[in-house]
Amino acid sequence: MTEMAQRQEVAQPVSLTALFTGFLIVSVCGVGGGSGLVWTRRIAVETRRWISDREFADIVSLCQFMPGPNIVGIAVCVGANLRGAIGSVAALAGFLLIPWSLGFALGLLCLEYTHLPVLRNILGGIAAAAAGMLIATGTRLLLPHRRRPAALLFAGLAFALITFAKLPLLVVLVGLVPLGIVIAGIGAAKTR
Amino acid sequence: MTYPSAPLALTAHLALVSSISFGGFPTVLPDVRNFVVGTHGWMSNQDFADVFAIAQSIPGPNMILMMSFVGWKVWGFPGAVVSAFATFGPPSAMYFAAYRVWDRFRDAPWQCIVRHGLVPVVMGLVIAGGVVMARAADTSWRAVAVTITAAGVMLLTRLNPMWMLLAGAALGGFGLL
Repeated sequence: MTEMAQRQEVAQPVSLTALFTGFLIVSVCGVGGGSGLVWTRRIAVETRRWISDREFADIVSLCQFMPGPNIVGIAVCVGANLRGAIGSVAALAGFLLIPWSLGFALGLLCLEYTHLPVLRNILGGIAAAAAGMLIATGTRLLLPHRRRPAALLFAGLAFALITFAKLPLLVVLVGLVPLGIVIAGIGAAKTR
Repeated sequence: MTYPSAPLALTAHLALVSSISFGGFPTVLPDVRNFVVGTHGWMSNQDFADVFAIAQSIPGPNMILMMSFVGWKVWGFPGAVVSAFATFGPPSAMYFAAYRVWDRFRDAPWQCIVRHGLVPVVMGLVIAGGVVMARAADTSWRAVAVTITAAGVMLLTRLNPMWMLLAGAALGGFGLL
């Protein structure tokens, strides 16, 4: 962990242009729910190595607790992590400016053709692949916690309460997170 | 479009709900629908459903785009721009403030404990989100195979995910799913 921090301090600061283009790619590649998570991890953690998996998991978790579109929060926080306030603005601008304009034009066009079966089939195929990618990204971010049984238990509980019990997201968050933190606290006290 | 206060009312409402949309913007969609379809009658129910489907399936900032389409229906292009700002503006400020606080206590002992309690729950939720999406998208065993393959490839390799999206699009487009 400290190695990672040192390497970051030594490395060149990430340029604002890089932040802009990085989040431009995240935005343009993102199709369907949760895709921002998949692509931000791909770019910020895997290919460009701006931040570690741990930092990324922190940011994602923090954003779950805030109102608004989570992916906007991920852009703001990654930008803030790398370059402070101006970094947030660059990431947000990259994420929004061009993709919003293109998406808006494309969307108005699509609204004219929503009945075409070919369009629906293509969208269906994309959705199936996108779902698998989201499952994989969540699993990867969980991997650092795999040696703690309590972590796996809570991940499993959260998963089951959403998929099988169909509870609202906010209920699951507010119900499980305080409990998870208390148990993690007890675990930390024992090892000390 | 009929009276000038409509764009103002929409903007104020979007700014309000975006500030309380805990758990992501989809959680307040029912409220937005009531506001624009029920209370004000700016759009029909079908309009709202179409706009949702489109926003979900085109690349880009989905929920912000969706609110822009709603703004477009109410006040044309200016409505679209203002609605976008109302949707991402207030939450962005809050995200930034929250991150500053989190960052200030970097590597504090309590932060590690919070992380150990919080992150697994959130990742369980993320995986559940994928499964919920898969349930909606996977209408045949072949589509299930696409989902499982995409998850497997992503876990085991560093292949660009764009290939999986393209493969899904091609299989779907040729009517194979």
